[in-house]
Amino acid sequence: MDVPRSIWNGTITLGTIAVPIKVYSAVQDRSVHFHQVHARDGGRIEHKRICPNEDEEVPYEEIVKGFEVAPDEYVVLEKDEIKAAAEPRTRRLDIEEFVDAGAIDPVFYERTYYLGVRDAADPYRVLQDALARTGRSGIARWQFHNREYVVAIRALDGVLAMHTMRFDDEIVRGDELQVEAPSRQPTAREIEMASVLVDNLHVAFDPQAFSDSYRQRVLDYLEHKRRGTAPELAPAEHPAQSDDLLAALRASIDARGAA
Amino acid sequence: MARSLWTGSLSFGLVNVPVQLITGVRDLDLHFRQLHERDNTPIDVQRWCSEEQIEVPYEEITRSYEFDDGDTVIVSDEELDALEPQRTRTIDIEHFVDLADVDPVFFDHPYLLAPAAENEGALRAYRLLLEVMSQTERAALGRFVMRTKEYLAIVRARDGVLALTTMLFHDEVRSLEEIDGAADVSAEEEHVRAAARLIEGMTVAWQPDRYSDCYRIRLQKIVARKRKGRTIKLPRAVEEPTPVPDLMAALRESLQAARQQPPQQPAGRTRAAGGGLAGFTRDELYDRARSRDIPGRSSMTKDQLVEALSH
Repeated sequence: MDVPRSIWNGTITLGTIAVPIKVYSAVQDRSVHFHQVHARDGGRIEHKRICPNEDEEVPYEEIVKGFEVAPDEYVVLEKDEIKAAAEPRTRRLDIEEFVDAGAIDPVFYERTYYLGVRDAADPYRVLQDALARTGRSGIARWQFHNREYVVAIRALDGVLAMHTMRFDDEIVRGDELQVEAPSRQPTAREIEMASVLVDNLHVAFDPQAFSDSYRQRVLDYLEHKRRGTAPELAPAEHPAQSDDLLAALRASIDARGAA
Repeated sequence: MARSLWTGSLSFGLVNVPVQLITGVRDLDLHFRQLHERDNTPIDVQRWCSEEQIEVPYEEITRSYEFDDGDTVIVSDEELDALEPQRTRTIDIEHFVDLADVDPVFFDHPYLLAPAAENEGALRAYRLLLEVMSQTERAALGRFVMRTKEYLAIVRARDGVLALTTMLFHDEVRSLEEIDGAADVSAEEEHVRAAARLIEGMTVAWQPDRYSDCYRIRLQKIVARKRKGRTIKLPRAVEEPTPVPDLMAALRESLQAARQQPPQQPAGRTRAAGGGLAGFTRDELYDRARSRDIPGRSSMTKDQLVEALSH
């Protein structure tokens, strides 16, 4: 097991209590990574920055960042000026208030971090235990990588966990989709049958029960292809749509019963 | 309606609901363009083949995988899709769970599902799944493949539509055993009780519109100032506090402060008439208090922040 490296050090404050912590990412990337290449000769794709006026590549030192305030009107900001938005630069996580952790809709959670002890164990244990006991999450602002995040800090199996949170105006609401209603609503009988199927398929959530089988399949296929033994692949097909809902539900329940 | 990122079928037993996946998060960040310093011309980013030194059109780009020994294999998206044809086109509902049982650690990116066909059958199947999930308050779990990656997804009813959130697989979440949480140290009961009281005293109802993206707002202001030709002041650093030797004394002191200044329950988004400091939200006031390093600001109500800031 690799020893995780902390990505940030700082201090949580709660009133006059200071809790020094280290921040670790809770996520480890397992994706299969590819390079972009030119199909006909496998040449790696390079991204070139071209100035359309001179039709020439522009060296990195001659590039500045501009924000388009009106069509073709840019306000150029220096790196430090962009950084100024992350004020004040601080290694503090001041808990402003607490909320009931269970009341937060999961749509707001963005990314998870774990918090480890730094220097003083006592205040860490007190905060962890008190959060576990009350079921609350502490809301704070976090300055990280020249950005500011709203975070929720909570207890998770004996340690502190921290989530960066999405902002309310970033969330797309369901009514923005303007989903059309069918001319005939599902019948009580259909809903009842569907509920039976939902109950049949209901389990306690167990994350271990699901693994990424596709990832391994991709790696196996690549290995075969390298040796020249890759199998022929059939293209993907769309499943047929069932027009008789009730018949499809009945058949689904029967299929479960027979299994 | 936003662009569809994936089109396929949500399959529930033998009922197939044609759906399209739409992002559930709007990008409100300020995006900067790269400009050529000399004349502020926006830079074109072009894809070039490193072998031939020519620009490559998008259709001629494919993927290459590099093995540890440096060997490479070229593979197309069509091949990768065909490896799991079923999951490339279908989100097969495998189980239903209680949403509250799923730890937020697993949630990744939120999307919304819209019906992908406008015929009566598709709309009724969509509506049926929506109805049954809102009535039973259960969420569906399934897997699907999008852009050559497999996702575990949780689907539930939210705001009158089906909402899908991609989830991390258990091996993508780091084990807690790797984190030093000082499990061998046990906190004193008296301290924990005092801290729990302090937490309860500082608890408000969860109301997401209480928190605004101050970073985005400040960046917008900086752009506006710069446009007018004003200079941008760099922020100063705020000191990091050190732990106090007497934890109980600190808890008692914080409790007392919180008791004198109970947190304000959110009172909507209305701005007080008359302008001045009272016209700002508590968030904006807190932000100002923080840049002036006003002590005790975290437990101050909006009125107290106005009071503290006006001196």
